[in-house]
Amino acid sequence: MAREKREILSPKSKIIRWVFSILLLLYTSITIFILLSTLINSFKSKSDLINNTFGWPEKFLLSSYITVFTEDKFGLYFRNSIILTFCGTFCCIFLASMVAYGIARFNFKGKGFLASYFLFGMMFPIQISVLPLFIILKKMSLLNTLGGMILVYAAGMSLPVYIFQKFFRTVPKSLDESARIDGAKEFTIYLKIILPLCKPVVFTVALINSVGYWNDFYMPMVFLGKKTCRTLTLAIYNYLNEFLKQMNVSFAAVIITLIPIILIYFLFSSQIIEGITGGAVKE
Amino acid sequence: MKKKQKRKKPYLLFIAPGFILYTVFIIFPILFILYLCLFKWSGLGPMTFVGLDNFKTLFNSPRIAPTFWHALGNNLKYLLCVWFIITPVQFLLAYLFYLKIPFYKYYKLMIFMPYVISSTIVSFFATMIFNPSIGFLNEFLTNIGLSHLTGAWLGDPNLAFKIMIIIIIWQGSGSGMMIFYANMMDIPTEIIEASRIDGCSEAQRFWNILLPLSLPSCASIIVMSSIWALGIFDIPFILGGSSGGVSNSLDFVTMVFYRYTFGNVLNGKSDLGFGAAISVAMFIIIVIVTLVQNKILSKFEYDN
Repeated sequence: MAREKREILSPKSKIIRWVFSILLLLYTSITIFILLSTLINSFKSKSDLINNTFGWPEKFLLSSYITVFTEDKFGLYFRNSIILTFCGTFCCIFLASMVAYGIARFNFKGKGFLASYFLFGMMFPIQISVLPLFIILKKMSLLNTLGGMILVYAAGMSLPVYIFQKFFRTVPKSLDESARIDGAKEFTIYLKIILPLCKPVVFTVALINSVGYWNDFYMPMVFLGKKTCRTLTLAIYNYLNEFLKQMNVSFAAVIITLIPIILIYFLFSSQIIEGITGGAVKE
Repeated sequence: MKKKQKRKKPYLLFIAPGFILYTVFIIFPILFILYLCLFKWSGLGPMTFVGLDNFKTLFNSPRIAPTFWHALGNNLKYLLCVWFIITPVQFLLAYLFYLKIPFYKYYKLMIFMPYVISSTIVSFFATMIFNPSIGFLNEFLTNIGLSHLTGAWLGDPNLAFKIMIIIIIWQGSGSGMMIFYANMMDIPTEIIEASRIDGCSEAQRFWNILLPLSLPSCASIIVMSSIWALGIFDIPFILGGSSGGVSNSLDFVTMVFYRYTFGNVLNGKSDLGFGAAISVAMFIIIVIVTLVQNKILSKFEYDN
């Protein structure tokens, strides 16, 4: 990068750049203001919150956090969200990578059709198939179970299959051929040779999927109506419906839900961005 | 014999589990609604074949049709916002980062961040700011002596839609922005260098090099975000309630669908066939919009 030449800018374009920079500074300050005031408000008592929306709390109280975990079952909701996110991601990635491996590594009739068959699901938002899914889950008595939700998540494998296929093609075939000569089974080749080589892309796709599952609202609302399998997003939704009554508690609930995802974002932002851009741009 | 077959088709082992799951939960539901929309069915008991009656009710009945057309109108309004407001904003932001304006790395990180925040929390923030009685905005306007500017915001049918667009830009503009940015960074430096040597101005470079070279990625972003635009649900549902906000200003087709299928489950009046008909209508609209877009966008394809 040493040879990168910086263009000499005219004073006018320099000013324009600074103007936009200041506009974006204001815009991003709003984001920071929102996050910080949510954090600060979560330590306020209800009366303090109503009288003093902006300022520092009269006294830093942890009572809202305690209420959230004791009177409401936030521990349980947290556990449900974690289970859905982890199991959903694991199943989806595992099955999608196997499918992608099968399509990318073997030659058979109907291979092209199969590749587009798996892409087809990306064409339609989940809102279209939610009613039949509801009926199917009910028939399988998987409604109101985390297991059923995990199966639905795992089935949405269009994008992972597509991305993995592209990646598996870049791994030289000589690798698996030499392993095959040494007598390795197909599944071993996939698990021990190909997957480890594709760790970065597997991680990226897993990250994107987990963020999606953690934040999902529509499907849990329809498929997980029972209180015991409520997720964090549903819990927040319930607080929001009683916002005026539960104001102070809901700020604490939002902070608890936000912290894991914000931490993950700042730790892995480059991987998340890569996951978003990688699938859509390159042919 | 069995062993021989296994050796011949090892790919079956890899593809079958995923294939079965995907077929049952993704492909079969789409086929199933195409069938279900021809019936009247409460979810229990027998299904009565009614042909296209569900669609007639949806498009023509004086009770339901106006709601549906109004909601569809809102969807199209939102689609236009995606094309003419949200996508250009995303492109402009990507271009600013491409120009490396001061502190652009920090802005990139911060503007993209809301992408990982769930719609419920985003709606919570919106309530926190726009709530008429305790929201920050009204409080702030009163404090600085501009109390005549305070409003009902999301409770105002003229403003609710616009505020929703702002909220969606705040939450969702990051992904498209990043795709545009990645695409601009992929433009070969030789082309940019050459234009620099030829004395091309910044504006010329933008209109004649960057914009045309970004059009292919534009196409994929627009197609995907249009599909999402027709399926928009979370934010208007949480902000406006299942009835679609004040004067139905935040009503969308997905919400009409939700009201008629799941909203009535408890009082036993649900008609799943009718719900399926709404889904099918949505399905057809998505297919039409995608086809039309492909046709229009392929004309702009740079490398043809």
